[in-house]
Amino acid sequence: MKYRKILAMALSCVMAFSLAACGSGNGGNDKKEDTQTEDNKADDTKADDGEDANAGDDAEEEDGGASSSGSTDITLWTYPIGNWGDSATVDGLIASFNEAHPEINVTVEYLDYTNGDDQINTAIEGGKAPDLVMEGPERLVANWGAKGLMVDLSDLWTDEAKSTIYESVENACKNSEGVYYEYPLCMTAHTMAINKDVFEKADALQYLDAEKGTWTTEGFQKAVEAVVASGQAQAGAVFCGGQGGDQGTRALINNLYGGTFTNPEHTEYTANSDENVKALELLKGMEGINFDASIQGGDEVNLFCNGTLAMAFCWNVSQEKNNAENLAFDVLPMAFPTESGDPQLCGGIWGFGIFDNGDAARIDAAKTFIDFMANDETQVVESVKASSYWPVKDLGNIYEGDDLMTEYSKFIPFMGDYYQVVGGWAEARTAWWNMLQQIGTGAEVKTAVEEFVNTANAAAAAAAN
Amino acid sequence: MNKKNPMSRALVRRETIAGYAFMVPSLIFFLGFVIYPMVQCVITSFFDSTMNRDDIFIGLANYTELFQDPIFLGALKNTVIIVIVSVPVTCIFSLWVSSVIYDLKGPLCSAFRCIFYLPVVTGSVAVTVVWKWMFNNYYGIFNYVGTSTGILKQNINWLGDERFALGCIILILITTSVGQPIVLYVSALNNVDQSLVEAAEVDGATKMQCFWKIKWPQIMPTTLYILVITTINSFQCFALIQLLTSGGPNHSTDTIMYYIYYNAFKLYRYGYGNAMGVILAIIIAVLSAVQFKMAKTD
Repeated sequence: MKYRKILAMALSCVMAFSLAACGSGNGGNDKKEDTQTEDNKADDTKADDGEDANAGDDAEEEDGGASSSGSTDITLWTYPIGNWGDSATVDGLIASFNEAHPEINVTVEYLDYTNGDDQINTAIEGGKAPDLVMEGPERLVANWGAKGLMVDLSDLWTDEAKSTIYESVENACKNSEGVYYEYPLCMTAHTMAINKDVFEKADALQYLDAEKGTWTTEGFQKAVEAVVASGQAQAGAVFCGGQGGDQGTRALINNLYGGTFTNPEHTEYTANSDENVKALELLKGMEGINFDASIQGGDEVNLFCNGTLAMAFCWNVSQEKNNAENLAFDVLPMAFPTESGDPQLCGGIWGFGIFDNGDAARIDAAKTFIDFMANDETQVVESVKASSYWPVKDLGNIYEGDDLMTEYSKFIPFMGDYYQVVGGWAEARTAWWNMLQQIGTGAEVKTAVEEFVNTANAAAAAAAN
Repeated sequence: MNKKNPMSRALVRRETIAGYAFMVPSLIFFLGFVIYPMVQCVITSFFDSTMNRDDIFIGLANYTELFQDPIFLGALKNTVIIVIVSVPVTCIFSLWVSSVIYDLKGPLCSAFRCIFYLPVVTGSVAVTVVWKWMFNNYYGIFNYVGTSTGILKQNINWLGDERFALGCIILILITTSVGQPIVLYVSALNNVDQSLVEAAEVDGATKMQCFWKIKWPQIMPTTLYILVITTINSFQCFALIQLLTSGGPNHSTDTIMYYIYYNAFKLYRYGYGNAMGVILAIIIAVLSAVQFKMAKTD
């Protein structure tokens, strides 16, 4: 009996202590958050007074985000942008960073495009957002930036940076009020691709300019007809099972007759133009092209790589590199077909943003990281190469001797307007593939497109308020 | 006796206190992770709540909007269809399988239980990927077998055609749902009082009469439990939708759970999402109460 009592007491103590430990842990966190809030207030005051921010930050490092050993811990969450999603590559990049800045410790978390947004949003709501995030303007500027969650990176955008980084890229990295929420590192132009073997067999290569990588809308139609006539029942698929790879379907439809997705100011969706309606009607009526609501961009790439489809609308150099071992045929990357011969490709721009965690020391450390990765003369080439894409400023030919990169680099001049920063983007993306599904199941094109634009513009208006 | 009573009351009190003390940790977790979020969900449903902005009290506006939102109403309809089809089918199928396998020899019965339980313990992502292959429009096994045998004239886009997509989802849901009811029914059928069955057989009862008059009443509590959990699982169908169809084509596979996720995590409309959650919880609670009531009457 006595033994049982002692055991019961011991168990109760263990539970009580474990609860106390949980409690004190939270308390510790609360205390830290309070300190950070104070730091934030101090920052605000300094900014208002126009004092030297760096001097103040140095002082704050002593009692702010810096540890007692003088080092600062920051977190980087990165989407799979080329090898920036590969831990071995990123470890190498961080090792280089730590050689120059041993006082900053970077912890990396790797995201994917399926769950990455949810992970970050959950972290934001839990007050544990990462310090650094690597992605594109549609998330950094149009989403988290618009919600006031990101740090203004204007101090990184020096006159030198503005003069060297391409203007179209710069425009994508700031909001309509000129606040910079992204510092860019790399970019690419999303293309489409064709199965060269199938096109050759179908004698369809005559309808395109393989050297320039361009073709006309008429050439595209004739090529698809030839491919279908050669026995390849399925030439291509307007995939609309979700938002994955949707830039491909947008670019295809916009290019065919020169339509646009938004206005130049990025304040309104204009996908209901006559050109886009005509393009959708053309695609709907083409034999060999189907609107497939069961696949997304990634599925389409797989179907292209295994030879089921003769064309992929969701393609770029990374796809060819990643699927090199699965490809049993020659891939010919192509710009999207146009009437005018002047394709406007959807661009991908990737770079860094900083979440405003209220800790000046960590924000400074994050800026140091960005500056090193994107501006250090020797490092920037390695950082860009890790992405498998191209630099956002003229660094010369960093892919000298790389035939594949040289082949794809011809599409960079075709990069069109980066409109993905328009308000209500998340809702508009969903409405886009829903619209394609409607058209695929027989809805009238004009009606479906009007419905899409109404939904998207309502979302844009709501985001603006 | 009178002398002993105060002693036993003290003992009872001490044991009660000890019992509650042992419950405290679980209770804290239950309050923190179940009750508090539920209360928070109800409160937030009366607010226009989004990321990084103060909530704005809007009363019942979220609820009013819900019942004018055609996508929500469509999702509600789809969810009800899923429940109406999958719950009876799951219960009847698992009862049938269990009644066939429960008196098989030990290893054979275990083998069947393992087979039917396998989809339950397999990760939903893995299960979904396999089904996605089988339903593939271009090289899926259903189309291959269908066209090879002449049953299908041409490939069917199972998940991309609104006529079939919801049916496919229900089929997958049923295969992943039957495992647990089968295990429970096998266990319940083994616990049926054999002396009553033997007595009925001696009195000339047929196998069907034995089942419905003797076994069925005794496994009724298990049936009730299975009905309730299958109903709740069917109402909360989410992973299959997210991984297979994203609610498409043309919202034909939207469910309330998926629409909650879409509004809360994609559009950051927390208040609106919570209002849907409240409605879903009410529907599930009412249906569960009805099921309890009906089972009690029987």
